[in-house]
Amino acid sequence: MSMAPPPQSRWHTATAVVLAVSAVAWIWLVWNAPVDSRQGEIGKILFVHPPAALGAYLGFILTGVGGALYLWRDDERFDHLAAAAAEVGVLFAVVMLLSGPIWAKGTWGKWWSWDLRLTLTLLLFFVYVAYLLLRSFTEGSDRVARFAAIYGIAGVAVIPLNYFAIDLAAGRSIHPENLGGDSLGAGMGWPFAMGLVTATAAFAFLLVRRIELGWLRSERARREALAGARGAS
Amino acid sequence: MNVLLAVLRKDLLIEWRSRDRLVAMLVFAVLVVVVLYFAAPPGQEETARAHVPGLLWVAWVFATVLGLGRSFALELENDALSALALAPADRGWIFLGKALANVILVTTVQALSAVAFALAFGLDLWPVAGRLACLAVLGAIGLCSLGTLFSAMAIRTSNREVMLPLLMLPLMVPVLLGAVRCTQQLVATGELPWSPLQLLLVTDGVFLIISFLGFEYVLDE
Amino acid sequence: MNAAAEPGATPAIEARGLTRRFGPVVALRPLDLAVASGTTLAVLGPNGAGKSTLLRLLSGLARPSGGTLHFDGVGADRVGRRQRIGLIGHATFLYPALTARENLALAARLWKVADPEERASQLLDEQDLQAAADRPVGGFSRGMAQRVAIARALVHDPEILLLDEPFTGLDPTAADRLAGRLAAARGRRTSLLVSHDLARAASLADAALVLVRGEARALPTGALGSAELLGEAYREAVSALGSEGRA
Repeated sequence: MSMAPPPQSRWHTATAVVLAVSAVAWIWLVWNAPVDSRQGEIGKILFVHPPAALGAYLGFILTGVGGALYLWRDDERFDHLAAAAAEVGVLFAVVMLLSGPIWAKGTWGKWWSWDLRLTLTLLLFFVYVAYLLLRSFTEGSDRVARFAAIYGIAGVAVIPLNYFAIDLAAGRSIHPENLGGDSLGAGMGWPFAMGLVTATAAFAFLLVRRIELGWLRSERARREALAGARGAS
Repeated sequence: MNVLLAVLRKDLLIEWRSRDRLVAMLVFAVLVVVVLYFAAPPGQEETARAHVPGLLWVAWVFATVLGLGRSFALELENDALSALALAPADRGWIFLGKALANVILVTTVQALSAVAFALAFGLDLWPVAGRLACLAVLGAIGLCSLGTLFSAMAIRTSNREVMLPLLMLPLMVPVLLGAVRCTQQLVATGELPWSPLQLLLVTDGVFLIISFLGFEYVLDE
Repeated sequence: MNAAAEPGATPAIEARGLTRRFGPVVALRPLDLAVASGTTLAVLGPNGAGKSTLLRLLSGLARPSGGTLHFDGVGADRVGRRQRIGLIGHATFLYPALTARENLALAARLWKVADPEERASQLLDEQDLQAAADRPVGGFSRGMAQRVAIARALVHDPEILLLDEPFTGLDPTAADRLAGRLAAARGRRTSLLVSHDLARAASLADAALVLVRGEARALPTGALGSAELLGEAYREAVSALGSEGRA
């Protein structure tokens, strides 16, 4: 376990710059994007909802990967990565789960449908909420890390199984299919792509900051314990 | 393998001495369905009957969560779990022994409650009994694999009663979906549909592998 | 620190830089330890000093946060290590719903002993427990349960025995019998004895180690001559380690 400062500190400036630039470009592009003739203004949620979903799934997958690496390498930094990815992933999932119903109310006429894809994504959100609760209810930092790693891996393993389940109910889903190259209207490609870039940049920025926070916390705890051991009689 | 059998035998023996988990799970399963029955609108017995396979699985899932909570609680008295962790064998075998004991317990509850429901709802399950039993076992394997692993984790958290269902339920959807679809079709048509069965089998396999490998890390201090 | 290790011989237990942290709390500071084959090392120290942590690390129940552990020169193989070690722990490790015989037969099966029932019976004889053999352990007194716990740890006749306060709850007869068995096994079995009983430690151990707040210090071999000498050396080491910690 290395005690060197985390290599991320340079990264957070870099990701912040990328985030600022891409966010400005994204807002400008979305502002000027053509309005969908059938959906109206609300169709512009298309530039928010899928990028949020990207961030959520990125977070969940990184949680599993970080956990697996932690178990394999026994290095606490991978645990900081997994914990950070879960928290940031849950944040993006909240944006996804809020923006989806707003669009659905305008387009389908109802806030929520017990569509399989919607339901499974909601459950996946609960998996990571449970993950964060497991972390906060477990004592002893390496036990937290091990339990969380196993749960995070199980959570990722369930994603393909859930897709298999969606397949099973094919034809019943009313959620739009994942977008292919030609399903976007003219002039919508750029703002959509910029949305994905911005989401990725925001994800990276928050992830880096959260990893730094986790590292600082464990460093402070270590220092306090050392001081406590010296001071106590 | 010897370790698996020793642990299995021990768990079944302890359960046989008290039978408290079995009775609690069975009563609970029956209660869940009775409560759900009263929640249904009156005068729609036919629709209610179509829902029986789903209700049954919901009851079984909740009963399993209840029973699994105790599975490692009995290991914590006198820290007997440490003796298991010290045994000179891959800890995956200890996991399989405990998981198998749980599968047997859950399957017993399933069998007894299924008979009760067939009688109460006037369903003739006898012609499909064999295949229904296979489905029950496959579902129980899915529930008890990750369930046993999470039970070992939950007892070491500060909020164990809340933690186990919270950990288990959101991950049990593929098991539940596969099992319920299979059971619905089986009861309605007498045929077993292939794709939900496939989902159930694949899920069982994935869950067993994760739990077998993960158990080593859960037992460590 | 070497516990009567002959130069050149591979120690039965060898730890280098062994540490254990629970989160930020350091339970065991980097510890070097070598116990020669067939000898007994007494581990002394006040409550909460890290003695039980040390035993749990050596037995493989807990993972070290750092450092290496070798048994007869062999490192990583965790399963093989568990086969060699017997642990009499702080708790009895017994299932209250099972009888003494069932508990021992279970342990015999877990350690793959050839005839589990026969072995259980034999151990019950040794501990003079035949009369109570078929009663659930849940109803046993602490001393009786402790005798079953001792039998359980010996089920596979381990080469290395780790004992955490083994005399707890035993009546004088049973305690003397245990001490007699430990003395008889000297030279044959390597033991690590955690105890507050300085008289027992002085008579049974070949070397002694004091732990205070996770920090260790070896006692001179001469201190094991009598309980009085050991007590004196013990108090000296505890106060030395205590003042070092404050500095």
